Amino acid sequence: MVNSSSPVVNVYPLANYTFGTKEPKMEKDTSVADRLARMKVNYMKEGMRTSVEAILLVQEHNHPHILLLQIGNTFCKLPGGRLKPGENEIEGLKRKLCSKLAVNSPSFPPNWQVGECVAVWWRPNFETVMYPYCPPHITKPKECKKLFIVHLSEREYFAVPRNLKLLAVPLFELYDNVQRYGPVISTIPQQLSRFQFNMVSS
Amino acid sequence: MGFEMTMSTATEESAAAAAVAGERVGVEIYPLSRYYFGVRDVAAGGGSGGGGVRETAADRAIRLKANFAAHGLRTTVHGVLLVELFDHPHLLLLQVRNSSFLLPGGRLRPGEQDVQGLKRKLSSKLSLVGHQDDEDEDDKWQIGECIGMWWRSEFDAVPFPYILPNTRAAKECIKLFLIKLPVSRQFVVPRNMKLLAVYGPIIAGIPNLLSKFSFNIISD
Repeated sequence: MVNSSSPVVNVYPLANYTFGTKEPKMEKDTSVADRLARMKVNYMKEGMRTSVEAILLVQEHNHPHILLLQIGNTFCKLPGGRLKPGENEIEGLKRKLCSKLAVNSPSFPPNWQVGECVAVWWRPNFETVMYPYCPPHITKPKECKKLFIVHLSEREYFAVPRNLKLLAVPLFELYDNVQRYGPVISTIPQQLSRFQFNMVSS
Repeated sequence: MGFEMTMSTATEESAAAAAVAGERVGVEIYPLSRYYFGVRDVAAGGGSGGGGVRETAADRAIRLKANFAAHGLRTTVHGVLLVELFDHPHLLLLQVRNSSFLLPGGRLRPGEQDVQGLKRKLSSKLSLVGHQDDEDEDDKWQIGECIGMWWRSEFDAVPFPYILPNTRAAKECIKLFLIKLPVSRQFVVPRNMKLLAVYGPIIAGIPNLLSKFSFNIISD
C-alpha cells in the first residue's frame, strides 16, 4: 500500500543552536583551476570522486533556512566533502560534519542523524558544470555528489572554523537564485518541497 | 514504500531502510517502444475543456474563488511518467492546443485522497474510451512517492516549492507523484502526447526532483 503522506522533518528555531569557533580550516585549493587540476590527479589514482553534502535546516519566522558555510565574501557551500576511497557515504558525511562543524572534544561526540538522499549531481568532465543526471553519452563521470538531509536535534553546539562563516539562508532566497548560489544549492527548495516541515517554536 | 513491480514484504522493508540510510532507490523504466499510444476524440460532455465553449480567464477566476470559499485549499495532483529513449529517461507530457504542456493529473475532489484522486485522473486522461469509470482501470496505476509540492498564494500567482512566508492561507497546492509504468501499456489519449519538453518552472524542475532515483533501464 503506497504511503501518500510526506516524510516529516522537525525544524527548530535558529536560536536553539549555539555557534562557537575553532581553529581555521583552509581550503586546499586557491583557485578553480587548481581545484580541477587536483581533481584530475585524484581521478587518475582513485577513479570517480564521490562527495557528500549535508542539508541542515533551522527555522526563523516559521520559514525553513539552510545552514551554509561562507568562504571569503561570496562563495557559499554546503557542509560536506570528498569521501575516501571505499568509505561508506553515511560515515563519510558524519566525518565531514564533525570536521567542519563540531567541537573537537572527545567528551561531546555529536550525534548526526543522517536522513534521506534528496539529490544526486554528476560531473561529466573536469569542468565546473554539473547535472542532476548522468548524460547518456558519458560513461566515465568524474564526480558524483550526493546531498543528504541531516536531522538536527533540538539543541546543538556547533564550532565553526575561524576562517569560515556559517549562515542560515531562507529557502526563498535560494529559489531561482542560480547566479548567487549555483545550480546545486539554488534548487534545494524544490528537492525539499515534498517534505512536511514541522516548525517547532521555542 | 516499494519501488519494484512485484514486491515482497522483505524487499519493501529493505527499500524503506535503504531510503532512510541515504542510499538511492531504484526505479525501473522501459523503452518508449513498449507503449502504444492511440488517440481518441475529445468526449462530448466530459472533462475540462471538452467539447463546449472554452472558459475565459475571468470565468475561471470566479470559479476557483467560489471553490476556495466552499472547500478551502485546492489540491491538484500530477503524475510523472517516465520512459526510456536513447538511453535517457524521458517524461511523458500532454500537449494542449499545440502550445502548452501539462503533466497528466488534475484537481482533487473535496475529501479525496491524493493517490485515489491521481488514479482517477490518470484513468480519465489516459485510458481507453468507455473504460474511464472502471474500478479495475483505476487500480492498474502504480503510484509511487510524492517527489515535490508547489504552493500558490493566489490562483494566478507563480507557484513556489515552499509555503511563502507571511501568507495567510495558501490557495493551491500542486503535488507531483512518480508513476511506475508497467512493462507495457496501451495509452489512449484525447490530445497529442509528446515527449519531454521543458516548459515552466515546475516541469523544468523535474530533473532535479528525480536526481535521487537511480533508473534501471530495461531494454528488450
